[in-house]
Amino acid sequence: MISDTILNVVDLHKKYGDSIALDGVSFRVRKGETKVIIGPNGSGKTTLLKCLNLLVKPDKGRIWLGNIEITDPRININKIRRKIGFVFQDFNLFHHLTVLNNVMIGLVKVRKLKKHQAYKKAVDALSTVGLDNTLYHKYPAQLSGGQKQRVAIARALAMDPVIMLYDEPTSSLDPQFVNEVLQVIRKLAKNGVTSIIVTHQIDFALEIADEIIVMHKGRIIESGRPTELLSNPQNILTKKILIRNFRTLR
Amino acid sequence: MDFWSNFLINLVQGLTTTLQILVISIPLSIITGFILGFARVYGNKIIFYISTGISTTFRGLPLIVTLLILFFGLADLKIYLSPFWASILGFTLCGGSYISEYVKGAIQSIEQGQAEAARALGMNKLQEIIYIILPQTLIRALPGVSNEIIYMIQYSSLSFVIGVKEIFSVAKTFNSLYFRSIEIFTTVAFVYLLLIAIATLVFKIIENKLKIT
Amino acid sequence: MNYISLIEYLPYIFEGLLWSLALVLGGLGIGFTIGLPIGTMITYSDKYTKFILNVYIWIFRSTPLIVLLFLFYWGVFPNIGLKLSPLITSIIVLGLRSGAYQSEIFRGALESIDEGQILAAYSLGMSKIQAIISITIPQALRISIPSLSNEYAILLKDSAICFTIGVLEVLTRARIVSIATGIALIPYLIAGIILMMMTYIGLKFFHTVYKKTVIPGLIEGI
Repeated sequence: MISDTILNVVDLHKKYGDSIALDGVSFRVRKGETKVIIGPNGSGKTTLLKCLNLLVKPDKGRIWLGNIEITDPRININKIRRKIGFVFQDFNLFHHLTVLNNVMIGLVKVRKLKKHQAYKKAVDALSTVGLDNTLYHKYPAQLSGGQKQRVAIARALAMDPVIMLYDEPTSSLDPQFVNEVLQVIRKLAKNGVTSIIVTHQIDFALEIADEIIVMHKGRIIESGRPTELLSNPQNILTKKILIRNFRTLR
Repeated sequence: MDFWSNFLINLVQGLTTTLQILVISIPLSIITGFILGFARVYGNKIIFYISTGISTTFRGLPLIVTLLILFFGLADLKIYLSPFWASILGFTLCGGSYISEYVKGAIQSIEQGQAEAARALGMNKLQEIIYIILPQTLIRALPGVSNEIIYMIQYSSLSFVIGVKEIFSVAKTFNSLYFRSIEIFTTVAFVYLLLIAIATLVFKIIENKLKIT
Repeated sequence: MNYISLIEYLPYIFEGLLWSLALVLGGLGIGFTIGLPIGTMITYSDKYTKFILNVYIWIFRSTPLIVLLFLFYWGVFPNIGLKLSPLITSIIVLGLRSGAYQSEIFRGALESIDEGQILAAYSLGMSKIQAIISITIPQALRISIPSLSNEYAILLKDSAICFTIGVLEVLTRARIVSIATGIALIPYLIAGIILMMMTYIGLKFFHTVYKKTVIPGLIEGI
């Protein structure tokens, strides 16, 4: 086991009824790495991500977070989830809580911090994503899509996770808000936050990924550095996916 | 005669009376409900106020008070209704008022476009109501109506306070004679549960039949 | 027909308001204490628990209130050695029945909350119980307010039925007065009007609470 491996995924399988979502997926993420997963809809990207914090239980396969095998049934999964930051496509901010309380609740209830400690961390996280105190007491429904997603990122970030998982973070956003969220993700990645991002934004993927993983029908069909994939795609499908989405590539 | 045979025979007689009341009240209250409901949506100012007034009053008054007023209260004004018919009038007014709420809601849930399409075809208001609105109202109001009818089956027991010899009055009489309360009232509860189960089943079947159309 | 005594008896009828209020608030309170846990359990637990709880709900929702009142007052309580007053018996029975209705209300509210809320809670590392208590129940409570105000209105009408086991609420008193004076219409009308007024005031109260607890920006029904 390489000592700076944050996440090690081995041979994940998942079926929903008769349809295969994951068909033997394996990969490794090192500390500070930014991995981007791309692929057509239905290729299993979201299922994969949700398996990583065990929101979805894989049928087969093992996952290690650092030294701990999180697929071991004896593990207390709640303790594990605290260390993994998850950002949903639909934000899933808690409707009945203010922005500040959304970010604080995990700190208070799960990490059992005292209120003033939680407050400090929450304010920190919120300023990292570029939101100031004018928004602290607003409710999610009063925010724009971009603001909501940034609060969601702050909420996950405040827990000091060892890895951040982003599930199509901009897919539910109106076009004018996509950039502000991508900027935050970019900033965090540049600062060394280990990240896995599932996205359709190919330009963004090519820009910030240390490695791109291409998925199709539940399998990883290719993976590599952005420059490699662009210049020398091994798989016809890779080329198709890149071309379909990347504007200036021909 | 021993307790159980005596009790059960009388219970069946009471059940017959209950069923008679229900068989008359349920259709009457549905008709009343539809009339009031449509009046509240389509009526002019006077009709609207009268129908809303009736509906609000009989939804606000507890059924038991309505029954007592219809039987004892009207007697003060020299209007004498039999227990049986006072009950039917009470259930019709009360049930009809609740059903009119469901009907009103159902009509209002049918989008504007339907009425517009009807008129674009050249139908007049009456045709529009009969051919387009009414059928859809029947379907949409069905859950509410079936809910109300189940309430009516339960609350039919109240007519004993004005002297109707239905199921509950039988139970009360036998209770004061024999004092075997748990057996008596559990049996009666069971009878009502059975009636409601049957009614629920009937409505499920109707609902499924309508869904296909 | 004794109209003079009738006027003297009016305060007596109005006093019944306190008993009616006790019945409604007691029933609502007990119903809430039973209904919230049961509704939550039905939404989140396994099918065996669900089944047993659903049996309780079915029995207490489908049996006529008056049958339950008599069953408990003449049957159940004496048999377990409890000599409870008509008032207490009524509050308990109303509470058990309201609990069944309220559990359905809360179940509906909990089920209407989108799954993403719970997923997000889990992602932060919350356990199922933490997620239920901190995230879904607070939202469900607010969603339930309109249905609860409806339940209040129904309970108020049901409270009048307790006159059959002799609770001294407004209807019982109206009946006593009507027998004493020989006039039926006016006492019963007054009882009815008192109950209608109580309903109206109560509904206004619930409406105000609903307005005050609105989640800013959230459009209802979305």
